[in-house]
Amino acid sequence: MINHDVVVIGGGLAGMRAAVEAAERGADVAIVSKMHPVRSHSGAAQGGINAALGNREEDTPQNHAFDTAKGSDYLGDQDAIEAMCEDAPRQIIWLEHRGCIFSRLPDGRIAQRPFGGAGAPRTCYSADVTGLVILHTLWEQLERFNVKVYEEYFCTALCVEDGVGTGVVAYNMRNGELELINAKATIFATGGAGRMYAKTTNGYASTADGQAIAFRAGIPMMDMEFVQFHPTSLKENGVLLSEAARGEGAYLLNSAGERFMFKYAPNKGELASRDVVSRAEWTEILEGRGIDGCVLLDLRHLGREKILERLPQIRELALDATGKDAIDSPIPILPGMHYTMGGIETDIWGATRVPGVYAAGEVASPSVHGANRLGGNSLLETIVFGARSAKHACDYIKNVGSVKPSERTLKQEQDRIANWMGKSSGTRAPQLRAAMNKVMSDNVFIFRNEEQLQSAVDQLLEIRKQFDENVYVMDKSKTFNTDLVNTMETDYLIDSAMCVANGALARKESRGAQARTDYPERDDEKWMIHTLAWREQGKNPRLDYSRKVTITKWQPTVRTY
Amino acid sequence: MANIKLDIFRFDEAVDSVPHRDIVAVDVPETMTVLDALETAKAEVDGSISFRRSCRSAICGSCSMNINGVTGLACKTPCNTVMDEQGVIQVDPMPNFQPMRDLVVHMDPFWDKYTRLKPYLQPADKDEDHQTERRVSPEDMKKLVDVANCVMCATCYALCPVVSVDPSFAGPAAIAYAYRFIEDVRDSKREERLAQINEDYLWLCAHCYACSYCPKHVDPNDRIVDVKRATIKDRVMMNERGPRHALIVNKTVKQTGMLAETEVIQGTVGRFNFRGLLKVAPLGLRMAAKGKLPPPFVKPIPKVDEVRTIFDSLEVPVS
Repeated sequence: MINHDVVVIGGGLAGMRAAVEAAERGADVAIVSKMHPVRSHSGAAQGGINAALGNREEDTPQNHAFDTAKGSDYLGDQDAIEAMCEDAPRQIIWLEHRGCIFSRLPDGRIAQRPFGGAGAPRTCYSADVTGLVILHTLWEQLERFNVKVYEEYFCTALCVEDGVGTGVVAYNMRNGELELINAKATIFATGGAGRMYAKTTNGYASTADGQAIAFRAGIPMMDMEFVQFHPTSLKENGVLLSEAARGEGAYLLNSAGERFMFKYAPNKGELASRDVVSRAEWTEILEGRGIDGCVLLDLRHLGREKILERLPQIRELALDATGKDAIDSPIPILPGMHYTMGGIETDIWGATRVPGVYAAGEVASPSVHGANRLGGNSLLETIVFGARSAKHACDYIKNVGSVKPSERTLKQEQDRIANWMGKSSGTRAPQLRAAMNKVMSDNVFIFRNEEQLQSAVDQLLEIRKQFDENVYVMDKSKTFNTDLVNTMETDYLIDSAMCVANGALARKESRGAQARTDYPERDDEKWMIHTLAWREQGKNPRLDYSRKVTITKWQPTVRTY
Repeated sequence: MANIKLDIFRFDEAVDSVPHRDIVAVDVPETMTVLDALETAKAEVDGSISFRRSCRSAICGSCSMNINGVTGLACKTPCNTVMDEQGVIQVDPMPNFQPMRDLVVHMDPFWDKYTRLKPYLQPADKDEDHQTERRVSPEDMKKLVDVANCVMCATCYALCPVVSVDPSFAGPAAIAYAYRFIEDVRDSKREERLAQINEDYLWLCAHCYACSYCPKHVDPNDRIVDVKRATIKDRVMMNERGPRHALIVNKTVKQTGMLAETEVIQGTVGRFNFRGLLKVAPLGLRMAAKGKLPPPFVKPIPKVDEVRTIFDSLEVPVS
């Protein structure tokens, strides 16, 4: 049995930022992560992190907050948005002071570039490897504070005793043992759920773990129907080409060679918000102006020097996947699943409804992104809410004496794994995952309608049932059993996919990333409310609309770019 | 589509005393990466095939392995660039690491090399209010950005022959990471960092350039040269054998056009380091017995001026 004051699940940007904050505050903190922290998918973030530093043009946190609220199609909670944007400059400077390698302006200040949906060049960056350099900076701080990392421990369950979070159960991948990790406070920072779709910019590890674990412990998921499709992913493998390309001036072209975005966003063109650009691309493709199911991202006019200096990674990723060099050839791209705006419901401190349980980063939904996230705000969310959740957790644990070890949760998890490992036949997780991927990609994509969503809901429930009754793990080893881990991940992905499909079916309006062809208008009278999904064992989630959107300053108005 | 036959190293440290190999065939597009072919084999044929992976876009560093005997990222290697005429691709765990399960190895010795660097910025000022950034020129940052592309995949560490004979050597990746702090104008511990990396056997690097194959173009081989230069420039640990050896080789070749071996030995060990010289004496005696003792003095070759001209045009001033 392991004991800590604070345990953070996940070693990406949000998790490490939380752990460093807790360590600086003197808490005994540990990270539980299914991989070494520097392997986290935060490192794949390319374009940058938003903060109203005003290093290139005059800018204020209030402008940033307005752009974010508008970008969210007014579903974001404006108290959370203002908290994030106000804290942003200080957090960027904190990173710089800790050694983060930001690109610089000629006068030595942090460089900033324009991004979609933003009124000023606000996105701080390091070439096109911003996520990686921040990831390394935070990992360095773990080394500095000697933070304990349970590396290659897969968290399987959250312990809740007497209504209070008491830690987690984790599977040690190196020896196959389950361990009870008691903690006065638990912070989930496990990232996204991209792998519920067939084509995604997310890596193999983005499997909804934290979402489903919290969901199963009785914490609601919020706004899960809002899935961001990034406008520029590669057809071949779904890999992301950063919005930084358009931020630096790249064009989107259709089969006629036309810069079509100005038809859809007369002012911002390619730099409209992501939901708008993805819908525009998909419309062009559906109306026959695509090329092999893609449109083109054209960087050629930026010139070799600028591409090599500011966008070297995406040039190489495109070259590896397509054989086309962006310096002299446009790159075929299409929208791909990128980000879950929704997640574990939290307040503006990252606290969930269960005392002692927090969530930060993509896994969470404090609702700063609402129905659509702006580029450059996800890294910011990880840093701001990682720090905020740890601050709140450190205050909370002062009043917690000791925690009751949840032996029953440990036993429950041992039984769950023994059941899968004990069977020698049945259905394997990869088959069920492929079925789920197809359902989501075919039916819960950019444009949605009642018929397809109902079909998705029904099919997912069937897949859920199949999984619960028939799944087995083929690999029986106790050493680094990734077949077992993949099975766990698939279990979690199905839960999250069900939340997405059910939320999308029930929300009879179009807002942000949810575009219903049968309900094409935004309906502010009925739908300025969040979707809360509660788990019902073996059934579709129960939906609850008791949480209204918080408006501080900006009433919803017509949203154009 | 191609029928790819993955010839896979199989091992489970908990139960196996020796490894064996399995050949697993999958029908996949031949442009598919080796990683995705492995993933297909695991999903469709044998769930027990074990390997690490995360991002599948060459940024997380998880999937470094030996592919046909050469270390590299499986996610950056298309099958059609490595398969033979029968479609066979051999995959093995990275060398220089202890295997754990199949292609998964124990990485701890690699991470320990970083921990020894104290790998975090140690600025002179304690700027804790976080009101404004430190000013750094774009050029000073650019030097660091190139190294910051390192994804810690350990490909260079696995390729390094010095690591294979002396695991206490820091290895290329950690030396490149040391460079990242040594050259950071915001850091205040340049001297301590240079001393530390010298203690971690910087000078064992034999410049074989195996690590010049870097999937992220960090070129740790060149960063090792940079760190050695910085060591000499800052005159850190100049009484150690490494820098002395480099300087004396440089000096004798420049003076004579030849390697003056006797002088090199004396210069490296120390002319008045009698204990050190006694230690190499048996080697000298054995060489003498075989008639291979180098001459005590070397005469400059004819046209030695041409050698010196080469030196003059290439040398970087170091002090």
